[in-house]
Formats: sequence, structure tokens, C-alpha cells
Amino acid sequence: MYQQQVNHPANLGAEPLATEVYEAMYEVFEQISTFWGNLPAPQQYKSRLFVFMDNRIRLHPEYRSIYTQAKHTLDALIAEVGKAQAYKTLFTDPAANQSPPETPLALARQKVSNEFIAFQVSQGGFKAFTGAVNYLSYIAGAFIPGEPAPYRTTQESPR
Amino acid sequence: MNTDVLIIGSGVAAAALASRLLQDDPQRDILIIEAGTRVKMQDQALWDDFMVSGNAYAKLPYYKYNDLAYPERDAPGENRNVGATVVPLAGARVMTYGGSTIHWGGWSFRLKAEDFRLKSNTGQGADWPLDYAELEPYYHQAECYIGVSGDSSDQDPPRSADYPFPAFPYTLEDQPAHQAMTALGMSTAHVPIARHGSTDTTSRHAPCKTTGTCKYCPFGARYAAPNYLNDMLDWGNFPNLRVLDNCVVEEVLMASKQRASGVACLDKMSGQRLTIDASTVIVAGGAIESPKLLLRSRSAYWPNGVGNDHDLVGRYFITHPYFIFTATVDDNPQRLQPEMDFPTLCSRYFDSPQEQAKGKFILINPPSTYTSLVNGKTLSIAQMMQSGMLRADIDAAVRGPAQVQIHGMLEIPSEYHNRVTNLDIRNRIGLPETIVDYSQSPDFNTRIQEIGDHIAKIFEGMGATPAGPPSISWRADHSACTCRMADNAQDGVIDKHLKLFGVDNLYVCSNAAFPNTGAVNPTLTLTALALRLGEHLAAAARKP
Repeated sequence: MYQQQVNHPANLGAEPLATEVYEAMYEVFEQISTFWGNLPAPQQYKSRLFVFMDNRIRLHPEYRSIYTQAKHTLDALIAEVGKAQAYKTLFTDPAANQSPPETPLALARQKVSNEFIAFQVSQGGFKAFTGAVNYLSYIAGAFIPGEPAPYRTTQESPR
Repeated sequence: MNTDVLIIGSGVAAAALASRLLQDDPQRDILIIEAGTRVKMQDQALWDDFMVSGNAYAKLPYYKYNDLAYPERDAPGENRNVGATVVPLAGARVMTYGGSTIHWGGWSFRLKAEDFRLKSNTGQGADWPLDYAELEPYYHQAECYIGVSGDSSDQDPPRSADYPFPAFPYTLEDQPAHQAMTALGMSTAHVPIARHGSTDTTSRHAPCKTTGTCKYCPFGARYAAPNYLNDMLDWGNFPNLRVLDNCVVEEVLMASKQRASGVACLDKMSGQRLTIDASTVIVAGGAIESPKLLLRSRSAYWPNGVGNDHDLVGRYFITHPYFIFTATVDDNPQRLQPEMDFPTLCSRYFDSPQEQAKGKFILINPPSTYTSLVNGKTLSIAQMMQSGMLRADIDAAVRGPAQVQIHGMLEIPSEYHNRVTNLDIRNRIGLPETIVDYSQSPDFNTRIQEIGDHIAKIFEGMGATPAGPPSISWRADHSACTCRMADNAQDGVIDKHLKLFGVDNLYVCSNAAFPNTGAVNPTLTLTALALRLGEHLAAAARKP
């Protein structure tokens, strides 16, 4: 097994994403876990989130500016309405889900928080809602005879 | 350019055949020609792109190598459907290095003994020129080659050796359908699936991590020919194995009526037209491209296309109609959700000799069953969060109404009037587009109604309410029979060793070779045929 990594040529020579942008994006991830209460100890996924962000940039260089723009958008919104309300607006405002995005908030919703939700659920965020052991995109592990299966089976009660 | 063995197409047939030949002689000179290009496999960034899309097929890196939909008023499209039944090519196959195994589901069923005697048993279609017992050892080799996890205690059909990996246990989502089928007396079985399991022997193939993104496995655990070809090229120590991609074979060249000399092809990268000489030519381009290549290989020896003196090449085109019956349950107290991306429960109860005359079928409990319904729309957990639903609303939704489904495939006997031919327009890959001429039989809807009656009973047992008529897809995923095997040239295009009647060194190794398809996916059977052909050719090469 070997993992390949594409890299868009537009990334060659590009400046790395600023540390404060990474940190701001981690806060989005952390707030997702807080808002839905579905992933304890989100800090353990911080490095994976940064790898995920790097992968998005590798494939789509525009994510460099999308993440930076999202930080500015959230900084302004938090200054205006406070952190809790700012993230509630980001996560639930129906207008921000209209595609294609035509406002900075919609861009942050669709290209950042919605993608971070998919990533967060793939890291185990689904479990709190369903009691399931596995989920499409979650790496539950191999089935090893004699060991519990990496998903709920007919042999067991729901967990 | 010249080679000993020339294989046209790079899917599972080519990979398995080359593997078997190289097992016998690692120095064997083999050239595989592929019209398509290479796709990056097991790439983390590409996987992320697929994952954040919610596993959308259109986000896959090989999506662009599918056929386009048929032309419509505002879209030029590709190919032509001229029969009474629309058989879509879009989504059915991938024209790329590794062929359609890059996207297949990995369901790895064996045919049953009665499938080899369809004509004798029912008067329809055709018999195979070999029987189940003759193919059985190669089925086992094929299961080991593509890495099938299955239930070795299941002796329907009989098997001489165990699967290489044990079956995946039934999921909890299988439980309601399993109980309903059992109560109705319908036998159930584990779906044999081409996912590698754990092994204590050295393997370059990672075990399935049940990640649920099987269309783009990040570990290469689902069999995909591009991974196996890469392994042979990068690690196999086979100095005379070559793959020439982005090269469209225009025609098979004949030195005489009985002997192919090689092929003429277009190297798309250089724009050069090449002639490649070969001692043995194997057409492994699938059930659509293989007959099309033979048909356009016209010469003074074969004015109607090589192997087509009896107007059989491209005829008897068939695929499986895939049916989806949908129902809803009012509540979901166990909070069942899709946890896997491949099915674990099936029933071959109706895949039996008693059903053969009317059309055998299998039933599948799909992994997508028990998806929550929110305002009548199926939503995953991530989609509920992305739509802005609050925690309490999601908690209620996963215990609330859900969509359930039963899927399946029906065997259809092949008929002479159904065919595929070349269209004098090139597609984006550089291959001639396809004319598909297929018309379903008048009794098809009656059979679907009978199937629906059985499934209604299953839904009733599950406490589910049927939601309208089934969705039926004639998509050409399992297209077959277009160069079928037979005992003689009047009934088929190739003999039991896949060799063209009347030509000494030209073979067809694809689903095109099938005389009929049974009710199950063809890939395992094709792999068995490819390994059998490899053994046949290896034995011939060993003769002084």
C-alpha cells in the first residue's frame, strides 16, 4: 500500500498558509463539535484537520484564499454579534447554503464549515447521533475473525 | 513494434490473464494496449474530495472517462440508442487504465450449474460449451486472485475449496430484511465480495478497513485492475511486461484467413499510427468494444469483419435489468443507519432451476437501506448537520421515518436481434461511438410484477410501506454475449477456449464470450475464464 498525493502546479512556490488561519479554522472545527455536542476532545483531531486542509489546497489551490477569507469573515461576524451567535449563524443560516455562494458568509459555510462537518463526522462525529459503530467515510478498521466486527451486526444489540 | 502476446484492453481480464502467463514464465513478452489513460489511485487528496462531496459519483477522478449520456435536444451526448428499450452506456463502464474494475462493486458470485445449460433446460438463449464442474477450479483461483471474502459453508453452488477470506457478518441494517425473508422461507446468503481480508501471509493488498468509500478505496482493498497492473509493473520483476496506454486499436490485421499478424493502432500522445506484430492477439475490451473491434477489422479474408462470416459478432447483446424497490418505515427505534458501502445480505432463493424458464433473479439488501427521511428526502448525518438542523432535530430524525430498499437483478435470455455496432464518430477517448439496439421482450413487465409481489411480502414482514413502482435500470454494466462461445461457428463466434472460429491465434476474453449471464454479476466468471485461458496458453507455450 502506498499513498499518493496530487499537487496542483499553481501551488509550486506559493506561500504556506498563515498559522493564524490554521488556528482560526481549527476553531471552526471545534465549534462544530460544541454546537452539535457530537465529538468529545476535538483537539485530538487538530493535526488531521490541518492535513485535510493541506489536501484541499493541494488539489484546489483556491482553498488558500478561501480559508483566509473565511477567517476574515468570521473575525468580523464575531466582533459584531459575539462568538456563539456568529457560529450559530454560520452553521444554521439557510441563506448561507444557497448555491453558488454569493456572500462571504455563504462561502465560509459551503467551502469551510460544511466540508469540516463532513470531515468531523468521518472522524467519529456520527456516533453520538446513532449509536452506530461505522459510517460511510469513517475508517472503522478491518474485520478480523474472532474480534468484534467494525460495524453493528445482526449478532449484537445496538450499542 | 512486436510482441509475443498482445492484449487489447487493460481490465480484469487482461490483468488476470497476464498474471497467469507471467506466473508460468516471468520472462514472457506481453504488451497490454489501453485506449484510456491512467487515474491516480489511493490518493489522499482525491479521497478527501470524494468524501466531502458525500460520495458523489461525479466527484470521482475517473468520472470523466465514462460515456456521456445519449444525445438530447440541448446536449450532444455520445452513442446512439436505436432499440425500443433505452440501455444507457453512461455510468456503465469506465474507459481507462484498469477498465471498469476501477468503479465496480466487487460482488463476486459464481454462476450455478443450470446456468451452463440454459438452452437445454428452457429452450431459450444458449448453452455454454463447458459445464460448471469444468470451470469450478478456475472459480476458486479467481476468488483467490481478486481476494474474495465469502461464506465457505455455502455450497450452492458447490465449491471444492474455501474462500481466501471469511464472509463479512450481516450488518444490523440487514436484520429486518433477513428476518422477513427467513419467515417467508426465502433462503439468504452472504454476498461474496472482492474485499481483501486480514491475512498472516505477505500481501501487497491491504485488508478492507470498512471505510465506506468503495468507489475510491483509499487502501486498494477492493479489487481494482489498475492497482494490480501497477503492482506487476512496479514490483513484479517481469522485464517484458509492458502497458501502452492512450493507444486506440483501429483494427486487427490478418496475415491470412487463419492467422492474425497484429494490430493497427493510433498512439494518441504522439499522433503516430503504429503497426504492432504479435504471435497471439487477445481482444479483452469488454462486451461492447470487443465485437466493435472485430467488426471494423475487415479484410479480403474477412469482408464482414474478422470472425463474422455468420453475422454473429455484436449480436445477442444483453445486460441485467437492475431493479430497486423502495418502501418506508414510520420509525427507526434502533437508529439503523448505513454503516457500510457494500452489501452483506442477499438471497439466491429465486436463482434456481425452478425459476430458470421465467428468468432467475437475485435479491440484495443494499447498504444504503435505512436512510433517514427528513421532509420526504433521504439525508445522511452529515447532510442533516450541513442543512443546519439542530441536535434535537437530528436525534429525532434518526429515530423517525426511514427509507428501505430491496435491489436485485434479473436474468434475460440473449436474442439475435439485439446488438451493438460501430458508429462513425469518435468519442472523447478516441474510440468509435456505439450504436446500441436493444428491445426488451414482451413478457418482461409481467416478470417484474411477479418479482414485485415477492418483494411486497418482504416489505410487509419488515413493517414497511411500499413507495410506488420500482426503478428499473437497463444500464449496460453487465453487458455480455456479443461474441459468444459455442461448439461450432454456426452458433457462436469463439470456441470453449475463447479462440475465434477459423483463426488460429486470435482470442476474445471478455463478457462478450458468455453464452448467457445467469442472474449474477459477471466479473468473477470472467476472471475464471481469463485464468483458464492463461493456463491454456501457458501450456501451449511449454510444448516443444
